[in-house]
Amino acid sequence: MADASASLATAERRAPRRWMLRKRPLVDGSRRGLEWASVAFVAGLLLNVDRIPIWTPIAALIFVAWRLMGASRGIKLPHTLFRSVLALGLVAGVLVRFHTLNGLSAGTALLVLMGGVKLLETRSQRDQFIVVGAAVFLLLAACLDRQGLVRAPLYLLHAWVCCAALAVVGYTPSASTAATRVPFDNRAAMVLAARSLAFSLPLALMLFVFFPRLPGAFWAIPRSDQASTGLSDTMSPGSISELTQSYEIAFRAHFEGKPPPPQERYWRGPVLHEFDGFTWKRTSRSLARMEPLQYLGPEYRYRIALEPSSQPWWFSLDTAMGSPSPRAFFTYDYQLVASEPVTETTNYSLVSHTSTRAMVALSDQSRRYDTRLPGDRNPKSRQLALQMRAREPSDSAYVAAVLNYFRTGGFEYTLTPPKLGYNSVDDFLFNTRLGFCGHYASAFVSMMRAAGVPARVVTGYLGGEWNPIGRYFVVRQSDAHSWAEVWLEGRGWLRIDPTAVVEPDRLNRGILDLLPNAVSAPARFVRSQPWLSALLQRWDAVNTWWDDRVVKFNYDDQLRLLERLGFSSPGAQQLGWAFGAGLIGWLLWIAWQVGRSSGSRARPDRLARAYVALCRKLDRVGLSREPHQGPLAFAGVVARERPDLDVVRSLLERYCSLRYGRPEPSAALRIREFEREVKRLSVASHAFR
Amino acid sequence: MRAALRKRIAAMIRKRQGEDTLPLTLARRRLYILPTRTGLGFGLLLLLMLVAGLNYANSLALFLTFLLTGFTLVTMHHCHRNMLGAQLVGAIAPPTFAQRDGTLSLTFANPDAGTRYQIAAAVGDAPPISADVPGQGFGRVEIAVPAPTRGIVLVDRLHVVTTHPFGLFRAWTWVHAPIEMLVYPRPHGTLPMPAHFGNKSGQRSLTHAGADEWLGLRPFRDGDSPRQVDWKAYARDAPLLVKEYSAAGAEMRIFDFSSLGALGVEAQLEQLARWIVDAEAQGERYGLKLPSRFIKPDHGPEHRHQCLAALAVVGLEETARG
Repeated sequence: MADASASLATAERRAPRRWMLRKRPLVDGSRRGLEWASVAFVAGLLLNVDRIPIWTPIAALIFVAWRLMGASRGIKLPHTLFRSVLALGLVAGVLVRFHTLNGLSAGTALLVLMGGVKLLETRSQRDQFIVVGAAVFLLLAACLDRQGLVRAPLYLLHAWVCCAALAVVGYTPSASTAATRVPFDNRAAMVLAARSLAFSLPLALMLFVFFPRLPGAFWAIPRSDQASTGLSDTMSPGSISELTQSYEIAFRAHFEGKPPPPQERYWRGPVLHEFDGFTWKRTSRSLARMEPLQYLGPEYRYRIALEPSSQPWWFSLDTAMGSPSPRAFFTYDYQLVASEPVTETTNYSLVSHTSTRAMVALSDQSRRYDTRLPGDRNPKSRQLALQMRAREPSDSAYVAAVLNYFRTGGFEYTLTPPKLGYNSVDDFLFNTRLGFCGHYASAFVSMMRAAGVPARVVTGYLGGEWNPIGRYFVVRQSDAHSWAEVWLEGRGWLRIDPTAVVEPDRLNRGILDLLPNAVSAPARFVRSQPWLSALLQRWDAVNTWWDDRVVKFNYDDQLRLLERLGFSSPGAQQLGWAFGAGLIGWLLWIAWQVGRSSGSRARPDRLARAYVALCRKLDRVGLSREPHQGPLAFAGVVARERPDLDVVRSLLERYCSLRYGRPEPSAALRIREFEREVKRLSVASHAFR
Repeated sequence: MRAALRKRIAAMIRKRQGEDTLPLTLARRRLYILPTRTGLGFGLLLLLMLVAGLNYANSLALFLTFLLTGFTLVTMHHCHRNMLGAQLVGAIAPPTFAQRDGTLSLTFANPDAGTRYQIAAAVGDAPPISADVPGQGFGRVEIAVPAPTRGIVLVDRLHVVTTHPFGLFRAWTWVHAPIEMLVYPRPHGTLPMPAHFGNKSGQRSLTHAGADEWLGLRPFRDGDSPRQVDWKAYARDAPLLVKEYSAAGAEMRIFDFSSLGALGVEAQLEQLARWIVDAEAQGERYGLKLPSRFIKPDHGPEHRHQCLAALAVVGLEETARG
């Protein structure tokens, strides 16, 4: 070995110095260690592959392949200077792509690239350990990104691969390895890693439950590179010719007690006030006062588990009372807005009523604001509104008349409406008469405003799919909806859904039942197979349980658990006690387990035990067998020192013939006899002469 | 400062453990364990994962951190267990020539069923050499021990260490069993051998070996002249063999220390060693005359050893005997 590396070194010296590429033999790391470190690194890379720019894993994989080929086929590897330039170039690439090195995706991309470069220069055992460390780091990055139920087993698997890699890297085959009867091969490493992880599982569970969690974050990872999904804060129905429906989940709602009936399941999102004749926008009036309300009807208590959307909207069932968290507040029009975009699953509890009455009159300012229309657009619809209002005695009668107009005017519900022109409302009301919720809400509100009735557009979701296993509603992006609210004197803001007039089924059934072609083919297939839907519901329920109970497990849950375990007023101290007691118990258990498992001393057989017993008896009377003496030599010593102990000598001779003699069918019997006689033997400490 | 501290710790450990005799079972009381550098790095990584998991209230990251923490502690037990109960049953250091590394051959026994991997040993600060010790079996570690001068090299502090499995922890012990390695003087010198007794042919050239009676081949031993090696056989994949010849009849030589007085003691001894090695290789009978001792003419490996050992300890007899 030494000679080979020495001759290699001289060969290297003799060859002209290469600036870029060189052969790099391993120093003290084994090739198997290199392979395992590569496997662990690639596994870590795969966990993160879907959220880093595609060129980064490709580059890293090229480095891995290059290094492995270098080890197996002697392909030349890059020189130090070349590697440094390469590393700098890659860092620059990440900077160009992300404009920062801070942040989860940029950090992960950087880690993947630098891990690859590190692998390229890996020669020693220490380098291999560092690459395995990078693989563990990639695991952390993956955890910080997603914690789904599907990914948890993958993470465990990766932890196992990393541990096995540690075992292989840590083992340097020695000269005597070939002679070992049980070689420490890949299989042995994997079994050992799996067993060690299994032993540590109880500790992990205990620490998970009892290790005190922090109530809040000290700092946050900037994650700005997520695509936004969900509702936007503008609505321009005229510009959309085909509404693509996403099957993604917007949020889940768990009700305490009875859930609201289908026609009341309006989930309130952005409220739109400003209309330029084509596009509805949110208000810029953030300082308007929130007027007190009288809540009517039954009270609904529920919890929302909001999926990330990169938007600040928190959804509530119609009108909610009180903000659920200091991180979110109500606007004056009862929309719940968070101070920061929702980037991770967010839970909050709310109490809502689906019907309210205003306690004070609408201020003049608000009335002006919510009856405003662009002066030069949609003249025909404004004229129609004025005519209709003149015919009706009151605002509420006018609302009913307009709804009736929608019902009987030949309007049709579709998700593929024609585009609308400059005067979008006129175009819709008098020409196309085809549209979805946005068209109806927009037209209705502008008819109301044209007649001087304060009105606004509310966007959000309608309905939701009941999951009978998890007992909650799943609200998807495809449940997005928009409706109207009008101000009626003596009543306040009243929810009116003009779409429901045109397509009454929309209330009771999801949009996907109405227009099955609205979603993508896979989602359509799922919906067409009841068993598949049932399966997916079950899956979703399990996932939700995982999210609620495992992923969202926090300090409060810890205290609640302690309370259930019998601590009267649990705090951090009790957590510490429980944690300490568990730790000590586990350490003792492990010490015992490891000692038992790997140390199973080969138990001597009956004959050997009897022989040991005999020797012990003789030892007590001062006849001790030296380690180098066999039974016959010992018998000679006994015969010389204690000629009276003839029986002992014959016993020793019998042992010898039993142990080394020709095997006989009656051997078992004779061994038992030997055992008995040894037991019966009593040796006097001094010979009587 | 650091060296002094290490010396004091070594003395403390020696005092605590006492002197050892072989066979020696590596018991709990004498095993020490600490994380390796890799282990410390891994600990740092775990700490980072913990902080990140706590800060972001990331349950999965925390769980995996705890799992790997537990794993680390389990590996500590495994490492300790890998060493605990192993036995050092033999330590042999065959004599060597000065300025040539000697070999300290250690034999470990494993009374348990499972293999103990990577039991390593070292003398001084040299990197440890490892061996796998199969269950119910033995493993041998051969350590190079430098032998700069003739005399006796005393290895009284042996470092037995393992980082297996996972390399996160290092379990080790110190063995204080005095192991002596005899170091013969280096065979060196160009003076011709003294003439034969009882033979009239006078001096013989060293290169001349063919005229004697052919005895056969024997395995190569340290100190054999390359000229006597059967290179043709070696080229045919045979082990290194040496051609042996016997000198005819009762020819013998006496190598006299005092006859080389002009050289200085060490050079004298080296010249004597040269003669002994060559004479033995040529199958001659030879005797050795030292100021304090006379070894009768004879031949054979034991005689060779006796003579060389006597040379090794010239002037050192009061401290140790060959």
